[in-house]
Amino acid sequence: MPAGALLLVQAAADTTRAYGEFPVIGARAAVWIAAEVHLMFAAFVLGVPMFAVVTEAIGIFGKDERYDRLSKEFTRLLLVAYSATAIWGAMLVFLLATLYPRFWAYLTAVFGASMWVYASLFFVESFTLYLYYYGWDRWKKGRAKLWHWTLGILLNVWGTIVMFIANAWLTYMMSPPRDITPATDPSTIKLWHAIANATWMPINVHRLIANVVFGGAIVGAYASYRFLAAKTEAERAHYDWMGYVGNFIAISALIVLPFAGYWLGREVYQYDQSMGITMMGGFMSWLWVIQAFLIAVLFLAGNYYLWVGMGRIPGAERFRPYTKWLLIVLVVGAIVWGTPHTMIADSKELAAMGGSHHPFLGALGVMSAKNTAVNLMILTTFLSFLMYRRANKRPVVPWAGTGTVIQGAMFAIAAGIVLFYGIRGYFVEAIVRIGFSVYQVLAVLACILFVTVIDILMARGAQSLGAIQWGKMPPRSQYALFILAVTFTWLMGLMGFARSGIRQYWHVWQVVQDTSKYAATPALGYASRMISLCVLIFLGLVAFVFWLGGLAEKSTFVAPGERPGGAAGAGRTQHVGH
Amino acid sequence: MWATNLKIVGVVVGTLAVYTLIANKIPQVQSEVPQSLTLGANVTPEQLVAAGEKVYNGIGGCTTCHGLGTRAPNLVTDEKGAGAIGARCGKREPGKSCKQYLFESLDQPTAYVVQGYQPIMPVMTRQLSPQQIWAVIAFLESQGGAVDVTSADIPAETPGGIAPGVSPGSGSSSPGPPGLAGGSTDPTAIIQAAGCLACHKLDGQGQVIAPDLTHVGGRRSPESIRRKILDPAASITKGYENMAGIMPKTFGSMMNAAQLEALVQYLAGHK
Repeated sequence: MPAGALLLVQAAADTTRAYGEFPVIGARAAVWIAAEVHLMFAAFVLGVPMFAVVTEAIGIFGKDERYDRLSKEFTRLLLVAYSATAIWGAMLVFLLATLYPRFWAYLTAVFGASMWVYASLFFVESFTLYLYYYGWDRWKKGRAKLWHWTLGILLNVWGTIVMFIANAWLTYMMSPPRDITPATDPSTIKLWHAIANATWMPINVHRLIANVVFGGAIVGAYASYRFLAAKTEAERAHYDWMGYVGNFIAISALIVLPFAGYWLGREVYQYDQSMGITMMGGFMSWLWVIQAFLIAVLFLAGNYYLWVGMGRIPGAERFRPYTKWLLIVLVVGAIVWGTPHTMIADSKELAAMGGSHHPFLGALGVMSAKNTAVNLMILTTFLSFLMYRRANKRPVVPWAGTGTVIQGAMFAIAAGIVLFYGIRGYFVEAIVRIGFSVYQVLAVLACILFVTVIDILMARGAQSLGAIQWGKMPPRSQYALFILAVTFTWLMGLMGFARSGIRQYWHVWQVVQDTSKYAATPALGYASRMISLCVLIFLGLVAFVFWLGGLAEKSTFVAPGERPGGAAGAGRTQHVGH
Repeated sequence: MWATNLKIVGVVVGTLAVYTLIANKIPQVQSEVPQSLTLGANVTPEQLVAAGEKVYNGIGGCTTCHGLGTRAPNLVTDEKGAGAIGARCGKREPGKSCKQYLFESLDQPTAYVVQGYQPIMPVMTRQLSPQQIWAVIAFLESQGGAVDVTSADIPAETPGGIAPGVSPGSGSSSPGPPGLAGGSTDPTAIIQAAGCLACHKLDGQGQVIAPDLTHVGGRRSPESIRRKILDPAASITKGYENMAGIMPKTFGSMMNAAQLEALVQYLAGHK
């Protein structure tokens, strides 16, 4: 944010008026839209550099120029997205300062110094990006390339610090340190004391991972759009591969995300039990059923994309009969996960039910069933990926048969542990049951780790059954990538509503009360309409960014004979680049 | 390409429409701003019950746990054959009337935790006004029992709510001796009133959800015990990390200084 903007903002905050009004949609909706769209762009511009720098590293150290071009193409998307992020950020600040001036004055009194650091870092980050992108072709070889890669790392460092600073402001609103009361003069609050609040680090970690997921999904959508618009086979092959990489990154990071979410949830409970209960079992309880539905869509769409993708891999047909079983596990898992458990209900509803749960479905609504379902869904997704990975390979190491048996046994053991603790959970106290989820997660993670290691060792010198035919994907697979991107974006809006909504009628929890006419926290129906509107605005603008990216593309780089599938690829394909 | 663009727009808008539709089809609950409750001197039991029901189903957040079976006992429906709360509240603790028991449950929820449940209930007298508390008690009494809350039970509202230790049912709003267990400095009485044994074991009694306190003096100094009581999150005993956050942070404000010191010295003596 420019320095002038902060001055203007401070001037506005000095007014004695507590609240302003925004025409037609109202103050709350105006701030909601600005904050949400800003956040979506911010997540994109923080997530994409993470894997841009990773793919560049793969290009440098793996001596594979395709990854370098992919990284540059990611980065090109960032240029316009950065401007959009800044514009929406400025809009948010102006709206806050004019519509919530007294609250804004409070925040600036506590966090003023950090706001200046934030603005400065945003400049540094922007110019690092310009150097990173525009220096790409100049610093292309040798030591200069390593310096260029360092710029990419720096870009991530600045971005992460910027995010951490902004996270401090919003987490302070959720979980101000307990010694701060409504009577505390905000100017006496130590900056670090306010920053290092209970939910700051969990949100930092959660957002860091979520940004990778989000960036991967949006890049996947970009690639799928370019795939559908491609005029040559080479273009189609390149964007098919790019879509695969984006999806792979998104789904891989998604698998880790729930653990960061658990940590955040635990900190919320630890900070204030009633806040945690409001979140999980209070008026927001239905939100988690919607979340389960969305995550089920993510799992199904991600797996569907992999299964359809196996159609372009010679040798994959031997795995096709298994996909229907995987689908059954995913669907049953999704149904169990979406079964409501603790719903807010009034006394008449409870009396009408004759108890708290549905006599049959209630048993599926408890955490034992849900944890079991989600862990089996993760295992199933990993199995889909493993089949995809092995589709066109025939291992030649002498212990290949034994290795496969061990891998199968690991899956069976992991699934067995998950089921065992899932069932056992019904027969023990809640406090013991909570601990079981740790064993379930560890079993799944251990399976993923060890099976992957065995698979990598087993693939050494493997016989190829044919190259991946990049570009030979039916268009419907690309629409799955769109659904993934839309769902990730919507889910982000939904979780943002959950995080912000649990403050209920407080600007700062139990310190600064919201006394505006919008103080009540709206129901999920209203929230969903706001989220959909924000997603539409964001995706509309992203489409514009993509279109601009296409305009900026000046040449088509054709590299005959390159193998976009890496070691597994053997087909002759071409790439679009610079 | 226009056909493709239209298909993409259709997929995007269609997906958003499905999510929005589902979110609008489920029950819609808005979190309202709590309204202050003013009850006159001649308030009737019916008015109290009606006001209490609103608090119970609304700002009190009671339905978040009560009535869901696993988190807290059912109150407005049958609980394990004992009936609704109004029918059983007078029999829960010997010598305590229904309204005394209900007040204690709201003011010191960990003092008497029903077997099979965790001590997770927040101190409601810190979250609700005295008027709201007594209205809820009247509503709960009406669930299978007789309402005997009157305006005489309701003290004048103070910014901090009712001081701990106010004895309900006396028809007086004057506070009783401050602190748990009527202000007694007998550590066993404090432990009993605070419900420590609902989680901790001490001298062979109590639960094993939290660390055994039988030899706590051997591993913690008096200062450490004092800090742990006042700020349970300050240090977590190894092996009990999963239980972090369960111990209420309110014991410091529920005891007077003499009680706290008596309790600390008593525990420190358990070498």
